[in-house]
Amino acid sequence: MPPFDSTEGDRPRVSSHLSRGTLLKGSIAGLGALAGAAVGTTELAASPDAHGSAATDKEILTFGLLIERLQAAFYAEALRSAHLTGEVHQFAQVVGGQEQEHAKFLESALGSAAGNSPHFKFGDAVTDPAKFLATAISLEETGLGVYNGQGVNLTPASLAAAAKIVSVEARHTAWARALAGKLPAPVAVDATVSVTRAKQTFQPFIAS
Amino acid sequence: MAAGFAVSFAVAALVSPRVLPSQGLVRRLSAPAAASFSGAPVARLPAALDIRRLVPLGDRLGASRWAAVEHAAVARSRPTLHSAPVGVVPARTPDGTTNIVVADGEADSGGQPWVHVSLAMLPNGTEGWVPRRALGGWSFVDTRLVINRARLTLTLWRAGRVMFRARVGIGAPGTPTPAGTFYVRDRLSGFTDPMYGPLAFGTNARSPTLTDWPGGGVVGIHGTDQPNLIPGRISHGCVRLANSAILRLGKLMPIGTPVRIE
Amino acid sequence: MTAGDGVRSLRLDDFDVDGAVRDTFEVMQCHTRSIFLRRTAGAGLAALGAVAAWPSEASAAATSDTAILNFALALEYLQASFYTEAERIGALHGALKQQADVVGGHERAHVKAFRQLLGSKAIKEPTFNFHGVTESADTFRTTAVAFEDLAAAAYKGQAPLIKSRSYLAGALAIHSVEARHAAWIRRLAGFLPAAKAFDEPLDAHEVVNIVNSTHFVTLQDPTTSSQTSPNFTG
Repeated sequence: MPPFDSTEGDRPRVSSHLSRGTLLKGSIAGLGALAGAAVGTTELAASPDAHGSAATDKEILTFGLLIERLQAAFYAEALRSAHLTGEVHQFAQVVGGQEQEHAKFLESALGSAAGNSPHFKFGDAVTDPAKFLATAISLEETGLGVYNGQGVNLTPASLAAAAKIVSVEARHTAWARALAGKLPAPVAVDATVSVTRAKQTFQPFIAS
Repeated sequence: MAAGFAVSFAVAALVSPRVLPSQGLVRRLSAPAAASFSGAPVARLPAALDIRRLVPLGDRLGASRWAAVEHAAVARSRPTLHSAPVGVVPARTPDGTTNIVVADGEADSGGQPWVHVSLAMLPNGTEGWVPRRALGGWSFVDTRLVINRARLTLTLWRAGRVMFRARVGIGAPGTPTPAGTFYVRDRLSGFTDPMYGPLAFGTNARSPTLTDWPGGGVVGIHGTDQPNLIPGRISHGCVRLANSAILRLGKLMPIGTPVRIE
Repeated sequence: MTAGDGVRSLRLDDFDVDGAVRDTFEVMQCHTRSIFLRRTAGAGLAALGAVAAWPSEASAAATSDTAILNFALALEYLQASFYTEAERIGALHGALKQQADVVGGHERAHVKAFRQLLGSKAIKEPTFNFHGVTESADTFRTTAVAFEDLAAAAYKGQAPLIKSRSYLAGALAIHSVEARHAAWIRRLAGFLPAAKAFDEPLDAHEVVNIVNSTHFVTLQDPTTSSQTSPNFTG
């Protein structure tokens, strides 16, 4: 018996031509379904499949936006207050800038669903360089784990766009770990992180 | 759940078709549970991809390496085109298989890499340098075969462990099996003549006495239709095993395995 | 690799914003193409056209999940063999050796996992000739940078095409590891681990073209077995 027959439910069928065009043009067009506008991806947007919908995309990417906003704010604060030096400083600069780009991208794709950013508070994680690095690793690993876990629920077009971000988040994670003297890639297959657990990790950093 | 957290999800919930829209949600500090995104269901990894153990090479280092000969090359005494030729490394063996060579050294010379190899010619033990670009990609083996002529035994080793042992028939006094370090060059089977048994391995060793044998007197390792002669000094130089033994060896010994005949 | 067969030409720009990979491929192409051209000089253009040694079952028209998994397996074979050879040849030291050993372990595990998942449908391992790039730290480093960026881009290209959620979970979990590998080796090579905010995907055609351009996949296995009567002394 072939072991590869899927038993866990199929994803919406995608015409490879359509998705390749979406992949290569990338960005906003791929999230047309998300904003509800028919931007050449009506086939996907109209898919009634329970395993992918504009609504779920919206929920997942809204959470992704929270991750990016949190991370962007974290790096920006650390650059102001932690007196980072050398490669750690460069890391915060480069990665912080990329998180801001991620946030802008998701804000643009979500439109009015993006809402305002929460206020964040990071305490000594952005004043103490050692705590900064440990927190960076935690935030990056958590974000990556959530994206990997939730990614299976995205529509193919949104997945293609999100994957471009996730790939870079993985690089961030590896870089932070290398700076801390840890193996950048400790396992052969990355574990997922549940949204519930991610919220527990992020909770201390959300200002009331 | 921190209130600030709930606010952002409430805003998300406002425009989600899954929750009834209500202007009041924006102002409230805590949102109804339904408004909080707790994650769509995750998919289980297929069992095969749930990798727990890696595949280290730790116990397979110290291996020997071989490569196919892609283009016949002249082997030279030193790793330079200006040194004397020692012999030829052909691309095919007399059996029609791809010739292979075992590398025991490399050197960069004149801007290109050279590889030190043993040749399949008399005198046994002739070595030379061939250009790396005459060869294909590397393959690695961690087995080695030892044939003891005094005790008439054959032993296959792997990472310090004995994998297989058998008694052998070797060359008769007038047509001895030569001593030296060689390697398994190819693997042959399906013969009409039962003299070689079901399976045979070619090596780069040559008979020092049967110099005008067709194909040059290649010393091989093979089965037999006269198992009653094993162990014994009875062959024309080849190493003979009982057929069940050669088949077992065939399951354990890859091409390129170094062979020491002592 | 020629225009005219409908295949897109190589676009390193899609995934190489800081030139690290471009430099790598130029080095590899000069090095390996000159070797290849020397070898096939007599066979001419026909030989160049025949370098479709990449398993055809694994390439370009991958639409079924099986084909996609086999495509992933093909890339994992390539990476695993590269790192395995580097480890065995033993030319690396220190942090670079650690990267090769650990990442090699991951890639070998990926090979094993995909082969197990595909069962009898798994493509066979191709024959590789790395033309000596595993034999010095410098060539190893630049080749590894190219491989890891390539693998991450390939997974991004295939993920949206996977139908099974379970297989997709696996692909995402491995894709992020490949991206970690990419950051790891880039840093060791003196490049920014993350050069830009968005990593681009590559589709199967593009990946196959890039791999073929390295000439690491050789035309055929050495024929070390035969059914002739041996020419032995006996």
